Amino acid sequence: MDGIRVGKRIVGTQSPVTIGWENIPKVEGGAFKRLFFTWFQPVVLFGMIAFWYYAPNSIAKASTAIGIGIGFRVVLQILEFVNPRHKSWQITWKELATDLFYVGIASTCVRLVDNYIGSDAIIEAVQKSLDVEKLAWFTSLPLLIQAFLIIFIFDFCQYWMHRGMHNWYPLWLPHSVHHYITQLNVHKGAVGNPLELFLIGLGIGGLFDFLPRAFLLAGAIGMSVGAYQHINVRFNSPRWWRFIFNTTEHHSLHHSQDFESTRSNYCNTFILIDRFFGTCIDGEAELLGMEGGRRMSIREQMLYPFTEGLRAWKERKSREPFFADHTAVPAE
Amino acid sequence: MDSFPGPAVKTPILRLFHWIWHIRGDVPLPAALAPDDAFHRLAPLFAHSGTTHARMGDLIVVTKHDQLAQDPLSIVDSGTLQIDRDENGAVLRYHLVSRALLYCFLAPLLFLAVAQLTVFLGSLEKPGSEEQAQKDKGKQDHKGEIRLNPVDKFLGAPAPEKPKDDKKNKEKGGDEEKKGFSPTTAYVFAGIFIALWVLGRLLEPWLIRRLFQRTLAD
Repeated sequence: MDGIRVGKRIVGTQSPVTIGWENIPKVEGGAFKRLFFTWFQPVVLFGMIAFWYYAPNSIAKASTAIGIGIGFRVVLQILEFVNPRHKSWQITWKELATDLFYVGIASTCVRLVDNYIGSDAIIEAVQKSLDVEKLAWFTSLPLLIQAFLIIFIFDFCQYWMHRGMHNWYPLWLPHSVHHYITQLNVHKGAVGNPLELFLIGLGIGGLFDFLPRAFLLAGAIGMSVGAYQHINVRFNSPRWWRFIFNTTEHHSLHHSQDFESTRSNYCNTFILIDRFFGTCIDGEAELLGMEGGRRMSIREQMLYPFTEGLRAWKERKSREPFFADHTAVPAE
Repeated sequence: MDSFPGPAVKTPILRLFHWIWHIRGDVPLPAALAPDDAFHRLAPLFAHSGTTHARMGDLIVVTKHDQLAQDPLSIVDSGTLQIDRDENGAVLRYHLVSRALLYCFLAPLLFLAVAQLTVFLGSLEKPGSEEQAQKDKGKQDHKGEIRLNPVDKFLGAPAPEKPKDDKKNKEKGGDEEKKGFSPTTAYVFAGIFIALWVLGRLLEPWLIRRLFQRTLAD
């Protein structure tokens, strides 16, 4: 494969990718269908902002957010059947059960561990030991700015953690298993080793104090943008949306079987961060995964970072030191 | 049906529970379809990545490993398919084993265990009443200072809630105390996996039967 030049890199040499928005297929069908899949994303986003901004205190609670989050996932799951992006990504019972297992582990076990060694717990401990209060002046900022800061600070940390995972082997090991997914579906974001889910959740948001409503707003905005990263639905995302936010197209390229393409589009919410640091590629891919699209079992996903890490460590240990006593070979 | 060979069973008592993850069924062969032709039609189903199969007369033994998501028999790990003849004609009988169904059936137990662990760890974390009261007081003092930004006031956003009094907080059981140690999520996932198993146990045998019917009719 010849590949396509994008800036200084050549992508698509190992697996087909589509580069450039003009080459990406549009939603096909009647006027209503095209209208629906063009405006669904912005309407949900602005609807969520308006709801959480004006909801009375008796409704603006975490339990409401959880309920909306579950309902939204169900709607997206239905949309996967209505307008799939690729038939080869169609959800099956086994895929759904597998994905929900990872969601369950992330929502229970990983959260439990977060109580002890999560970033918020660490920051709280440091603040207590140094007798430092949270930066409380943030609470006096307008709600939407607070919400933006919460998402942006988290996304910025996540960008560098994710980029680090693709560039440093010890961090790549727990993240690598997530790249064995061969299709994108609503719950695929949770598929991976729990160690990775823990690492990717680390942030410095705990340093600052925000109003509870700002957290709810941030969660709603994050959900209304981030949920489309792993999804098998074709949307005609507006131009401004795909310039600012991460989309399924961007993330499918990140999961491509083409190595060079995987080294792009690291952010969670704001693709602007990738654009700023020169790691954004606008495009999409259908063939996803590693090792030619091998599907990894749950058991292997759980063990791989450790078994592979041990193997690499043993190999490194057994390697001869660079300045070992070799018989000298004269240069030509 | 008793003489129909299935995957080897190591422990006879397990037979009682086979219905959890074993799929048995039969599909009548179209008239005048010879076993060779029937197996020839079924052959593409065994051509997927990670699938090995061996034919012994009218019997096919299948094993699968790391099945791809879009493999139409992705939930099958091993099994046998045999063509039998009776007075009504030839029939394809199948006996398939699915670890996915078994693990889905067992998953609620895992989540119930996680729920119990969460409750146990939560009980260890319970702060002393004096310490908790001091913590609550500090928080209330802090909450009392929070004011909405004038921009939000102008736009009509509701003002932050005033701190509740101690009595009400105690009646509620102290939300902060439970934060991070609630077993509800684990219970919900236990329920989800029970529902998923029921769905899979009904849906997958139906899909497999339909697949064999369509493949043999082609």
